[in-house]
Amino acid sequence: MNSDIKALVLGVALWATPALDAQFSFTLGGDPVQIHSFVSQGFAYSNDNNYLTMQTSRGSFAMTDGGVNASIQLTDRFRIGAQVYDRNIGKLGQWHPQLDWAVADYRFRDWFGIRGGVVKTVLGLYNDVQDVEALYTFALLPQSVYATDMRDAWLRHRGGDIYGEIPLRGLGSLSYTAYAGLRQDSRYGGYAFLLSVLGARFDSYGGRQVGGDLRWNTPLHGLVAGASRMSQDIAGKGTWYLTPGLFPISQPVLIEYTEHTLRDWTDQFYGQYSAGNWRLASEYRRYWRDQSTFNDTWEIRSDVRGWYASAAYRLSKRLEAGGYYSRWVVTWSNSVPGSYQGSPNQDAPDRHVYDKVVTARFDLNRYWHVKVEGHFMDGYGATYGYPSGFYQQDNPQGLKPKTNLLLIRTGWNF
Amino acid sequence: MRSTLILLSAAALWSSLEPGAWAAEVKVIANWSVTASAVSADELKSVFLVTRTELADGSRVEPVLLKSGPVHDAFVTRYVGKTEATLETYYRSLVFAGKGLMPKTLASDVEMVNYVARTRGAIGYVSAGTTVSGVKTLAVK
Repeated sequence: MNSDIKALVLGVALWATPALDAQFSFTLGGDPVQIHSFVSQGFAYSNDNNYLTMQTSRGSFAMTDGGVNASIQLTDRFRIGAQVYDRNIGKLGQWHPQLDWAVADYRFRDWFGIRGGVVKTVLGLYNDVQDVEALYTFALLPQSVYATDMRDAWLRHRGGDIYGEIPLRGLGSLSYTAYAGLRQDSRYGGYAFLLSVLGARFDSYGGRQVGGDLRWNTPLHGLVAGASRMSQDIAGKGTWYLTPGLFPISQPVLIEYTEHTLRDWTDQFYGQYSAGNWRLASEYRRYWRDQSTFNDTWEIRSDVRGWYASAAYRLSKRLEAGGYYSRWVVTWSNSVPGSYQGSPNQDAPDRHVYDKVVTARFDLNRYWHVKVEGHFMDGYGATYGYPSGFYQQDNPQGLKPKTNLLLIRTGWNF
Repeated sequence: MRSTLILLSAAALWSSLEPGAWAAEVKVIANWSVTASAVSADELKSVFLVTRTELADGSRVEPVLLKSGPVHDAFVTRYVGKTEATLETYYRSLVFAGKGLMPKTLASDVEMVNYVARTRGAIGYVSAGTTVSGVKTLAVK
């Protein structure tokens, strides 16, 4: 089915199903099975630069995603379920469905439970729900922390978690999660797309992830603060078509290609305060990646730091307004002889993306919403070094230092 | 004098925010399998945020909610600390992250009482004037 027909089918489903007003469930062996789903359709239009692999400078509807899940509580303590997700955002996803999560969850006590399978990763405020835009105010989460094109790197792991909530007698409670598992990137993610312009093609990309999250639900009503940490050991395998000009060779050559981690960690700190109709949030993420590439010949280092501060206010039952300021800065270096190293100054456009955003969210009913959002971006990041949302192959005319983007997104979930 | 008035006003405002001040409008009910006769505000909030499945006395509990209406709004605002919309978003976050299910919801006080009466561990709420035969009323302390 081509992309236009798929978008049309999803669009019809989206417009038709607001007439339904019931949670869908059925019983299996006497136990209720809950079915839930979501779908969203977006339109993006930008001046000059194309963004997130979409042809936004001409206006793009290539922004569709959705998922469906089924879950059943088999006993008081034991639950199983699974969710399938699919997306087409420009050249990301390309309608290749993924198993978003598939979990068996046993809760021994409130302070100790285990879950295993394909598990959404707890990292900051929104990591495990970043692919369900119905759950937050903004059409795009701050890309400084929740990069749509790098979602595969952090969204889920195949492994297990331990988790729980511990009351703190007058000091609120602590929620903890610790996990270990394997990351497995889609071939249709941002990193593979970035390197494809240089001649790379990955057959596999992924590896071990270990990490945890500690969240303090403070005694001050509505205030949450926390920290997350992840370490990774990632390997990639594929082929690379090397060409003169980009590499210090005289003739093109196709090689078997491998890379692996030397050091890779993520730290994230966050806080959120909700009071009445207000919701304030801020997060900081630092990602350090030191990768041995080209079959242990050269080393590439990336130090990616991003943060945002956001505010949202519910004006009425149907209308919420919000905005955020997001800053993303990358420092990278690689030992490939003669390769571009990036500007030494952080204020140069190839070192950062700063984004000012305003949003209006209209909740047409309990299940259906529309968001209208404006982005005012400064910079385009390391288009040869690390995915930043801007890609050379989508912008053959060259990248302008500023991008204004209009995003309209409608979604439905039940 | 002025500072005393300010303090008294602040105390009046603060006391109006305490759960006890609104207890006349909403009544918390539970299945008779729940042995506690009272529940703390923190426990009640944790039950409805699905972070707690047992009370301090070891009773296993399951939250049950009304679908909508002024009683639902009052309970959610005062005891869970969220609006109806943000609580629904919170539950959906659990569902779509694979970390929980939507809790049972019912259309009326009568359905709520009937469901809580027959369901082991169920905790719900109704308007203060509702007849609650077959279930126990929990004090919120």
